[in-house]
Amino acid sequence: MTFVDGAIVVLRVVLPALILPGLVIPLVWVERRVAAFIQDRPGPNRVGPFGLLQSPADIIKLFTKEDVVPDSTDKFLFLLAPSLAVFAALSTFAVVPYGPTVRVAGKVIPMVGADVSIGMLWVFAITSLSVYAIVLAGWSSNDKFSLFGGIRSSAQIISYELAMTTAAAGVVLAAGSFRLTDVVAMQEGAFRLVPFVPRWNVFPQAIGFIVFFVSAFAETNRLPFDLPEAEAELVAGYHTEYSAMRFGSYFLAEYINVIVASAMTATLYFGGWSLPGFHPEGWLGGLLGLLVFAAKTAFFVLVFIWVRWTLPRFRYDQLMRLGWKALLPLSLANLLWVAVLAIWRGSR
Amino acid sequence: MERVIFDAAALVAIVFAGLMVAGRDPIKNVLALVVSFFALAVTYVLLLAPFIAALQIIVYAGAILVLFLFVIMLLNVGPERPDGIRRPVQTFLGSLAVVVFAGLLLGMLRTSGARLPAQPEAVAVDALPDPRALGRLLFSDYLLHFEAVSVLLLAALVGAFVLARRENAP
Repeated sequence: MTFVDGAIVVLRVVLPALILPGLVIPLVWVERRVAAFIQDRPGPNRVGPFGLLQSPADIIKLFTKEDVVPDSTDKFLFLLAPSLAVFAALSTFAVVPYGPTVRVAGKVIPMVGADVSIGMLWVFAITSLSVYAIVLAGWSSNDKFSLFGGIRSSAQIISYELAMTTAAAGVVLAAGSFRLTDVVAMQEGAFRLVPFVPRWNVFPQAIGFIVFFVSAFAETNRLPFDLPEAEAELVAGYHTEYSAMRFGSYFLAEYINVIVASAMTATLYFGGWSLPGFHPEGWLGGLLGLLVFAAKTAFFVLVFIWVRWTLPRFRYDQLMRLGWKALLPLSLANLLWVAVLAIWRGSR
Repeated sequence: MERVIFDAAALVAIVFAGLMVAGRDPIKNVLALVVSFFALAVTYVLLLAPFIAALQIIVYAGAILVLFLFVIMLLNVGPERPDGIRRPVQTFLGSLAVVVFAGLLLGMLRTSGARLPAQPEAVAVDALPDPRALGRLLFSDYLLHFEAVSVLLLAALVGAFVLARRENAP
């Protein structure tokens, strides 16, 4: 392996890990402006043009505030938990293909961190670990509100992970592979029976997509499923005792999770970076593919924000009922339907 | 390189398994077990079994141990306090078991000549074996075992349901 090859690998892996947290800065601004728009008020518009410097100002504030660690906490776990949250959020993206494979100057560069054969499983493995960040924060804070938030979140994430994984299993079954680049490859082009309609998984697996996307809200602790930090009952839930940037890291992790969940939705159900009739060539094609992927991801991020300011929070029993009695059976039905489709395709 | 990572991961797995047994605080014990399982998953990847590694994290670290934590937190089990009672018989039997087990392990290592599977020159991450092969094997040669385990799990599920159900529930 030459130096250039090594540099390419480092860039493939490190760049997304640096860009993702960077994207959170404008994303917070977008969230606040969209929220203001939905609630018919101006939103942050004083700091810099259009209020764009509001987020950087907030970040400087978070970094320079005093980091209070209450005496009654379990110090080691209390300090460890926020970094776990950011770690889990960032490492999920490692296997998501964010662009086509490009050939530049005789070098083949796949635009994905690591194209492993267990890509989809990696995503679920890491998201299932993210629950520790919340549970440990709740427990180590030694505070009843935090503990309640932590316990709620562990039950919620485990419940919704079942439905989410079963829905995604439909995509695995259709693609015949856990590899996310294969999932994108199978969605290229248009349907043979219905021309001009992209071969995206969302059409044959509409139910699977709905289950996956609804579960993604629960997995990222976003409204209407933000029970672990429900302000009205739990002060701030699992991060009640946190201050300064440790508190900020939970927000960082939440926004990165929103981006990653949107990227996964775009990849699994909307063809990732591919578009019908789009055959990327050279570095320009790579850039265009990246833009297509970014546009699809941005769309779902906006849906996340839109839903947050539209729906009220669920009650805990409603949350559990929806997860176990609606989403899980629906995802199983979807899996059965995809299996039928696969057999029908195989028999032709 | 692989050998160094493997040894480091194996060491971490053993050390944290020891911490899990020796620790007094149940929450810390569960966390030590999580670290140990994670290190085990790393060794699975180096043994060319990435699928098993992923399952190890999803099922054990991600689901079962979270439930452990959940129960420990719900019951609010505090750190265990030594009660100062000596148990000579248990200590003797425990040490004996450790010695016998260590002897068994050593014997197995010597006869099998344990080493990492012969690595092809520079295995790329992309070229690791496919989970498909495992699926084929599971649903052909080991179908009976697979079905037996699934029936066992179903029985456990029904059992849990019967035990947890209230007498006069609708």
